[in-house]
Amino acid sequence: MSLLLKNISLPLAPFTLEADVEIHRRVTAIFGPSGAGKTSLLELVAGLRRAKTAFIQLDGRVLTDVAQGVFVPVRQRGIGYVPQELALFPHLSVRQNLLYGRKSGGEPNRLFTFERIVEVLEIQPLIHRSVTELSGGEKQRVALARALLASPRLLLLDEPLASLDHKLKRRIIPYLASVREEFRIPMLYVTHDRFETLALADEMVVLVSGKIEQTGSVRVVFSRPANLAVAGLLAVETIQPGRVVKVTDELVTVAVGPTVLTAVAQNLPANMGEVHVCIRAEDVILLKGEGSQSSARNHLPAVVQSVASDGPLMRVELDCGFPLIALLTKQACEELALKPGDPVVALVKAPHIHLIPREAPRH
Amino acid sequence: MTAAEWQIAAFTVEMAVLSTALILPPGLALAWCLARFRWRGKTLVETFVAMPLVLPPVVTGLVLLKLFGRRGPLGHWLYSEFHFDVVFTWRAVTLALAVMSFPLLVWTARSAIEEVNPALERIARTLGAGEWRVFFTITLPLAKRGLLVGALLAFARALGEFGATILVAGNIPGVTTTLSTDIYQLIQLGEDSHAWTLAGISLSLAFAALWSSVWLMRRKKH
Repeated sequence: MSLLLKNISLPLAPFTLEADVEIHRRVTAIFGPSGAGKTSLLELVAGLRRAKTAFIQLDGRVLTDVAQGVFVPVRQRGIGYVPQELALFPHLSVRQNLLYGRKSGGEPNRLFTFERIVEVLEIQPLIHRSVTELSGGEKQRVALARALLASPRLLLLDEPLASLDHKLKRRIIPYLASVREEFRIPMLYVTHDRFETLALADEMVVLVSGKIEQTGSVRVVFSRPANLAVAGLLAVETIQPGRVVKVTDELVTVAVGPTVLTAVAQNLPANMGEVHVCIRAEDVILLKGEGSQSSARNHLPAVVQSVASDGPLMRVELDCGFPLIALLTKQACEELALKPGDPVVALVKAPHIHLIPREAPRH
Repeated sequence: MTAAEWQIAAFTVEMAVLSTALILPPGLALAWCLARFRWRGKTLVETFVAMPLVLPPVVTGLVLLKLFGRRGPLGHWLYSEFHFDVVFTWRAVTLALAVMSFPLLVWTARSAIEEVNPALERIARTLGAGEWRVFFTITLPLAKRGLLVGALLAFARALGEFGATILVAGNIPGVTTTLSTDIYQLIQLGEDSHAWTLAGISLSLAFAALWSSVWLMRRKKH
């Protein structure tokens, strides 16, 4: 799959959506806060909206070229779209909804048969129901199946899980994952949820206020956010201002208040002095009692400030000279019998400390 | 009821059905254009279509008389091309009823179409449907109750039309006389009891048409 979006410019109310990006990976998350222009970007690709300037090409076929006056109509694009509101046809049964877009004739795509899609998404028991009787999760699966049955070459999903509660989300994600594995269909997946992104996407495009802030593999973007806006968006729990003290061959020493940290000197600009120090809560390990030897470069004596439940995990706030957040399993938390006031040692490996350049405060 | 009274009632219903059937296709098309698109001159068209609602019906009748009379631009063309007269024939009755009930149909149909979520039409397009298929499989079925209400209101309006009809079609017994024009004439002649019989028929027909449209509108909400 190759989707090329060039020279996109679409004036929206508070800003202009601008994009220049090439997407190759199978599942790409368009990640950003609400109101960033994510849905508008999907609508441009689907042909449901026209931009001021745009060049959109999918697998070598030009879909939109404003400069040349090319605009392939929506129905001929072969792009499936599952909007946030799902838009199931209320006057049709589940079965009629599913069959609405099914191609008659053409070369049969063996993976996209009605039976296979109904099986993978477990729709069989719903097939004769009216769509108005379905639950949120069932509607979601039917909308997904309907889009797949039109045998699209690209599937656009707009916040498919946003309207579902936590429990239901976890039940639907495996369905999306199996669509991804079974049908090998490229997807553009709009979301503001980092858990969904990590669970489903290979690549991500971070969109903030109409501008693409970063593009790259999910792993790279999460561990190396390009700037503070992206780091904040990915909800990196600990972001502290720091100052580079010393740079040796491979390691950097950074001071955050009274605390000194060791990070890896990777892609670090030579003259970097002021930095933002980013530490993800999952990367913090806690030790209680006498600290034994460890390979982690950073052993930070800390005091537990608070312990609170955060979904399936426990969120522990520490003071180690600066506020540091750790995420532990409930089990680990119970074994350590953590309570506010307890002294602990926080371990952070040097590669898990990510530095973002910071401009020195202006006076 | 006498045979003559039956004839007038049947003729009136027939004319109202015919005029409603005639305005349905252009009415739906116009309602769809008004509901779904923005175009140059839209406000002007909306105003023109609504005119018969507020103009004195005799003025509408007068305009039609001038347009469709044998010396009028349209009437002259119809006579020379197809050799038929409009004014003072049953065709004039249909024409008057159609023009007078057109705004009611368009207004009701327009709001019925506007109530259909455009996201459903957009999704149908992404599923490969062309505009005709989208209209007949999504828009029309979802708006059908509202459209039926519009048709019933237009029919009810046509049943009672008087001012435009009498000007453009006259009151020729057995040819253009409708319930309302006959009632008017009977009262002029002092035949009140006859007039009351016809008034009763009018009342029952209007009641039936309105009652069904109100019933449909209520069903629509559930």
